[in-house]
Amino acid sequence: MKWSHWVRLRKLVQLLSFAFFVYLSFAVVERRVAPPLADIFFRFDPLSALGSMLATRQWIPRLALAIITVLLTLLVGRAWCGWICPLGTLLEWVSFKRARDILLKGVKAESSGIKGVSIMRPYDRLRKLKYFLLVVALLMALLGSLFLLSLDPLAIFTRTMTTSILPAIFYGINSLERLLYQVSFLTPALDWFEGVVRGTVLPAAQPLFLQNLGIALVFIGILALNLLAHRFWCRYLCPLGALLGFFAKFSIFRPMIGSACTSCSRCAQVCRPGAIQVQSGVLHIQPSECTMCLDCLASCQPGDMHLRPHYRPAPKEDFDLSRRETLGALATGTAAVLLLGSQLHRHQPNSWRIRPPGVEDEDTFLSTCLRCSQCMKICPTTALQPALNEAGLEGLWTPIVVPRQGYCDYGCTACGQVCPSGAIPKLSLEEKRLAVLGTARIDRDRCLPWASATTCVVCEEMCPTPDKSIILEEATVIDAYGMELVVQRPTVLRETCIGCGICEQHCPLSGEAAIRVYAA
Amino acid sequence: MKRSVSRREFIRLAALSAAGAILASCSPEATQLADPTAIPATLTTQPATEANDAPPATSTGATEASTSRPEPTQPRASEAYLSVVHGSDPAAITKAALDALGGIERFVKSGADVIIKPNICTDYHPPEYAITTNPIVVATLVTLAFGAGAKRVRVMDYPFGGSPESAYAISGIADAVKAAGGEMHVMSQPKYKNYTIQGAKSMKSTQVYPDIIDADVLINVPIAKHHGSGRLTLGAKNLMGVVLDRNTMHMSLHKRIADLNLLVRPTLTLIDGVRILMENGPTGGNLNDVKQMNTVIASHDTVCADAYATGWFSLEPRDVPYIEACADLGLGTLDWQGVKLEEISL
Repeated sequence: MKWSHWVRLRKLVQLLSFAFFVYLSFAVVERRVAPPLADIFFRFDPLSALGSMLATRQWIPRLALAIITVLLTLLVGRAWCGWICPLGTLLEWVSFKRARDILLKGVKAESSGIKGVSIMRPYDRLRKLKYFLLVVALLMALLGSLFLLSLDPLAIFTRTMTTSILPAIFYGINSLERLLYQVSFLTPALDWFEGVVRGTVLPAAQPLFLQNLGIALVFIGILALNLLAHRFWCRYLCPLGALLGFFAKFSIFRPMIGSACTSCSRCAQVCRPGAIQVQSGVLHIQPSECTMCLDCLASCQPGDMHLRPHYRPAPKEDFDLSRRETLGALATGTAAVLLLGSQLHRHQPNSWRIRPPGVEDEDTFLSTCLRCSQCMKICPTTALQPALNEAGLEGLWTPIVVPRQGYCDYGCTACGQVCPSGAIPKLSLEEKRLAVLGTARIDRDRCLPWASATTCVVCEEMCPTPDKSIILEEATVIDAYGMELVVQRPTVLRETCIGCGICEQHCPLSGEAAIRVYAA
Repeated sequence: MKRSVSRREFIRLAALSAAGAILASCSPEATQLADPTAIPATLTTQPATEANDAPPATSTGATEASTSRPEPTQPRASEAYLSVVHGSDPAAITKAALDALGGIERFVKSGADVIIKPNICTDYHPPEYAITTNPIVVATLVTLAFGAGAKRVRVMDYPFGGSPESAYAISGIADAVKAAGGEMHVMSQPKYKNYTIQGAKSMKSTQVYPDIIDADVLINVPIAKHHGSGRLTLGAKNLMGVVLDRNTMHMSLHKRIADLNLLVRPTLTLIDGVRILMENGPTGGNLNDVKQMNTVIASHDTVCADAYATGWFSLEPRDVPYIEACADLGLGTLDWQGVKLEEISL
């Protein structure tokens, strides 16, 4: 097989991996039972595995597949980045090459040492950043905080997909349908479309998420950085890329330049991650930065580049962390853990901080949750929402239940099934039905039968416990017209209420509900 | 170069289709459709006719034709007004209940577009818990409708707990209906339309799923259950499932249920009493609250069927205010003893 064929194969694998990632985003719509392989990307993710195992000081068997990724990297370098990672693939596709060329026209190119060849690599030393971030993230994990796992590329993509991209797509489709349903001759076509997609890939209700704009902005920022360099994120920032880059220094198969090299530097110019350095006329490949795209091998004119076994670790590079910088990263991590840990919000009990079913201890949860958003992605009622400051900044983008937006469905155990690290325990339906999220309380100053002499017992009707956890007392009141009226006034039985929040969601008052779940 | 041209072409195409869509949506036909007042409530405008000879309205048909589902047909002399059938085979009693009314052909004409509206309120429990309509009863109606020549039979509800797909599955109704050749249909939010209700006392307008209004035949198949605010949930209350905003209906629940029944007129109501829920309704979850009744009630008159079913809970029709409110609006009779009742034990 020629190298150009390998390049084509790589692009195919990328496409399939990306398509599968997108498929999984749609495959969980309206599901109570997780589809097979729902969390498969995270199970192969060594950063998530290492981080959560360091933080919990436990072997997490479900994440053991990450060893395969590590072994793969030890064999052929950062093939994950160039072949599998869906975020990397997207950044490769949305490269903004033309815009970047225009934007960087004025930036002074370095001389390559080869006559007539100059190579633009304006930010090479920035590669340090990702190693710095990795050390900070791992030290923080060791000290019990998974805060920086929110920068895992899979987590970023899943979170953005869940909270921003999919809701926006669904909103677009729903709006368009609402418009087209006004045109009567289109109705049969729309009905057919609805019959195919509604309830399968299109959820019955429009999902809405807190922070969708903020999360989208982070993602757009990552895309926009491509204007400065191809796959800027992967080169300079990605902590998973840094971890794999570290292992890649010891990888066995690397692109090697043979003796027939004419120093034409074509390879360096096609290299997507800019991993081929040209210094004083000598070409030098940096395995820690190489994403195994194989373009260089295909481009070599003398045809003298090969993947050859090589058993010596790669030499130290300029952008590897020095001892002093490593110490700086450790200090940064320590400071971050201390500052985050001593935040007032982290310790203050917060009645809005309602955790998913089965989660018992807040500290354990924070040091196990990967911030991956898988639970929010599958939650059929969008009850699970990304936290902002409910648990302090350390809890950023961890899941909380927001009952006014969505209740915890009495017939559903989906979140525990897809949680890769087990932060949300896998519960049977019977166990889940007994899991207490919080307790509902009625605001008698606003509740219609209590405060406004109006009949209403939606909360009681919705309450899913086999023996209702809301009881009704009859009272005779004078209504707004001066007439006697018998109303039923709801009262929550605090001992049996599980805090599922369906009462809060369906409370007909506008704005804040008159019945609210307070965190357990 | 080539790439930039193709992008330009793409943008031009997109702009053209967007302009086309906007123009199309501004057509007079569309504005007429969008005007909620163009769709009258059926009650006052349609005389009660014995047979439904109107041609089946196609979904592309004009608004008037598709909303003119006739008033439920009055029984002929040989046919019962109300039928009550007891027996341990849900399929057999369903069929017998319809036979007593003159057979399914009295309601479903050849080529009809039929919608069956069971109660599929949550995805919490399987059918033994008596919170969702018996799947065999629903499937039997599907089979009977096809037997009468129905062109299409769809089954739908909008659960308040869980998603339609999961509730359809757990209720057992999805499997049974599909086996009978019917379709499970998800009511799509973008399709709901606002309807004004003429003669309404409390709910002057509301958003309803238009297929329910437009179908040639609507078969209302509630399960009889205890209910906190409604006291009981029966036929008239079961129609709440077709309304988008049900929460605000609760502020004046009984009057608004009656108003809804002014707008949504089922061709036939069949109350599933195979198992009924005596306490902790409508969500249930306790097998001790379930009572095996092995009975179904059928009538073209929802109010009358509901009135009869109150007896199962040791109540009088007037104890359930929405049934009384429906009768007050002239939607049916509370006096089930005064109509031709056929009671059969199989």
